[in-house]
Amino acid sequence: MQKTQTIASKRDFAPVARNVWELPREFREDMRVPARLYADESLLEDALADRSIEQLVNTATLPGIVKYAIAMPDIHQGYGFPIGGVVATRVPEGVISPGGVGYDINCGVRVLASTLSVEEVRPHLDGLLTALYHNCPSGVGVSGGFRLSHEDLDEVLSEGARWALRQGYARPQDLERTEEYGCIAGADPQQVSPRAKERGRPQIGTLGAGNHFIEVDRIAAIYDGEAAERLGLFPEQVVVQIHCGSRGLGHQVCEDYVSRLQSTVREYGIELPDRELVCAPLDSPEGEQYLAAMAGAANFAFANRQVLTHQIRRSLEQALAGRVQSFDLHQVYDIAHNMAKMEEHQVGGQSTKVCVHRKGATRAFGPGSPVLPDSLRNLGQPVLVPGSMGTASYILLGTERSMEQTFGSTCHGAGRVMSRARAKKQVRGERLREELEARGIGVRAGSLSGLAEEAPIAYKDVARVVEVVHRAGIGKKVARLEPIGVIKG
Amino acid sequence: MKAFEEIEHTADLAFCAYGRDPAELFANAARGMFTLQGGGLPPPLQERRVEVEGVDRETLLVNWLNELLYLQERHGEVYSEFEMEELSATRLRARVRGGAQAGVRRRIKAVTFHDLRVRQTAEGWQATLVLDV
Repeated sequence: MQKTQTIASKRDFAPVARNVWELPREFREDMRVPARLYADESLLEDALADRSIEQLVNTATLPGIVKYAIAMPDIHQGYGFPIGGVVATRVPEGVISPGGVGYDINCGVRVLASTLSVEEVRPHLDGLLTALYHNCPSGVGVSGGFRLSHEDLDEVLSEGARWALRQGYARPQDLERTEEYGCIAGADPQQVSPRAKERGRPQIGTLGAGNHFIEVDRIAAIYDGEAAERLGLFPEQVVVQIHCGSRGLGHQVCEDYVSRLQSTVREYGIELPDRELVCAPLDSPEGEQYLAAMAGAANFAFANRQVLTHQIRRSLEQALAGRVQSFDLHQVYDIAHNMAKMEEHQVGGQSTKVCVHRKGATRAFGPGSPVLPDSLRNLGQPVLVPGSMGTASYILLGTERSMEQTFGSTCHGAGRVMSRARAKKQVRGERLREELEARGIGVRAGSLSGLAEEAPIAYKDVARVVEVVHRAGIGKKVARLEPIGVIKG
Repeated sequence: MKAFEEIEHTADLAFCAYGRDPAELFANAARGMFTLQGGGLPPPLQERRVEVEGVDRETLLVNWLNELLYLQERHGEVYSEFEMEELSATRLRARVRGGAQAGVRRRIKAVTFHDLRVRQTAEGWQATLVLDV
């Protein structure tokens, strides 16, 4: 099944616009469409340093792919798809690739904005971080304080954040400010294996380990005052970010289908350059079953971030009630960055139904999109781009150009440039914590070596990544966030 | 012969496992996966039985390692001894032994099929594995 790999160099890419590079379809004989990369010259060179581009080219071979295989400036080597990859396949004859969504289905980011300034919170920050660390369990093999029955879990899988609303863990406005209103249609709990459910049941309301985190930030810069005001953001405001996904339940759903499709892909006569890209036609029984299971796992992740939101509101109450005058936490937005979604996009001048795989990429719908709530419709969808730990994060807006060029998608983060092993050799967790604390950033971490693996040195400069999407017009800068406290597993 | 060695990967974890025969390859792949999580391997106090199938040797290897990750999450254990009772290209039965996962600091989400090939070489058997972390 393996094809001879051709290694791309900078010469193979033609600039098609500022910060947009194209690798022609002729680059490798099995490509069905060209590949496009959003990057400046330095980020292009970073992408050429590992196997990211080879992985991008591999995705261009997927049956039914339309326009281009796309990569964002935070591209880095993954497994199957590169991280930062966007692929749209035509409905119904195109394919769905579970590995193209990844093991952490609906891994995503939520930003909650407080009514408080950093000056008001700073004296109570220590207590707030301790309350957050206590109320939002993180780390390896940790269970949450919420016990779900089998019936409860099926409701979570079907309803996502709506389940959380019924349980009193959400406000209606939270759902309005969540991608898909916190519930992907078409979820079928029957298609989620008993084992996936067993893994997920004790994990609702937990953060997990790895690069997942809760961060307390301040609004350090505002680039678009009008948009910031519409989103309820002001300078030096305290906001809270959550980064996590569908936990063991999502991992198991992906695993089940990647393994199952290894045999069926042959029956459909699909040839692939990498077995992790294994896929099924969208209208096949296997494709439909995966989409129904994936939607369930995605809903679990929406509910999980919603329960964590409830816990964060409780933490604020515990740490600040009676100490500051009045406070509240409203949801700015919640986005998914590992998902496949059925959407309408322009292909060859016609509105076409496609399945958009975003693997480490964020939906970024522009102004006028009918799926946005009234309060955001003429503004565009907020996009949340977390940076590496201790650096900056960004709030952007989707644009008309992202709709035209990238199936309404943009970047998702900083993107790694250094392996975990090498980061750990170069950075000591304890030292890193001292450095962060010296800069006024409080840290609560379960594992110091885990902290070292996530050191900023292991990542690209998020400011550079965001500058590329802003200049290319596929995301518009609204605000920059800088951390004052980090919670990690 | 080395049991396994870590390979550079920008975002995830990758390693190459070796064995004189498929049984040793499968055991060393499991040893490599648990070793890369940190915390050392515990003495073999608790025994579990594992049975998995796969359409070919690669799928069987991935299913075997994912089954061990499931047992790890379910019981809070890591394993250090792997005794193969039956191993064909499509079916595996084994007893695995280990203990509490004290000190584990890096949770592996899943074992992937990326770049995976189980190869027979002049020295024995080898496989490259990429783990999502």
